[in-house]
Amino acid sequence: MYLKIRTMKSHYLFSNKWKKPAWLVFLPSAILAIVWMISQYEIAGLDVKSFSFFHEPFMGKFSLFTIVENNIADEILGILIIVSALLIAFSKEKNEDEFISNIRLESLVWATYFNYGVLLFAIIFITEMAFFWVLVFNMFTILLFFIVRFNWMIRKSNKSLAYEE
Amino acid sequence: MKNKIKIERAIADLTQAGLAEKVQVSRQTINAIESGKYVPSTVLALKIAQIFIKEVNDIFSLQEADWID
Repeated sequence: MYLKIRTMKSHYLFSNKWKKPAWLVFLPSAILAIVWMISQYEIAGLDVKSFSFFHEPFMGKFSLFTIVENNIADEILGILIIVSALLIAFSKEKNEDEFISNIRLESLVWATYFNYGVLLFAIIFITEMAFFWVLVFNMFTILLFFIVRFNWMIRKSNKSLAYEE
Repeated sequence: MKNKIKIERAIADLTQAGLAEKVQVSRQTINAIESGKYVPSTVLALKIAQIFIKEVNDIFSLQEADWID
């Protein structure tokens, strides 16, 4: 008697159709975020009163559940970058199959190690406000490292096709 | 694990792309299996064998190294 075993399907992935729109959101958002970081320019129209669970101004008093005046440029950019990077990372390839799933898993493990390797280095050698910027970047780097590594490995396996047949 | 996919392909006059299409995987996957870089799942191995009208054992075989590590 055989046990019926379900074929491995690639779970928790988005449809391939998200990949291109995600890139179209990610690239301008990332560029804007870098410009925003360097210039520290605040767009006046984006100052809004927003609800905050935890609020603590620099050198100020901590408060819970308050309404605060806040420039939401960084919130918007942060959300756009994270959502689009997630979609880029975890939308299926056109020909997603078990071999590509294997590359995906391997790249995810690699990206996690690399990300925390960089963070450990930063914890030891980067201090004070500079470390604040490390934390800001670290919100995105695990996804970025994964995207770079995964696409590089896919490209490598495509390249080896050229020699075969 | 050794495999005879390349030989079987030659006999059946199938390209990597042709075999890939028949077993519903990418060409990279067939390429990686042939060059020993990737060990296919049981389902994929069964599908490949079925395309060549062979048993899985006729196409894929264990090597000494598979028992180590």
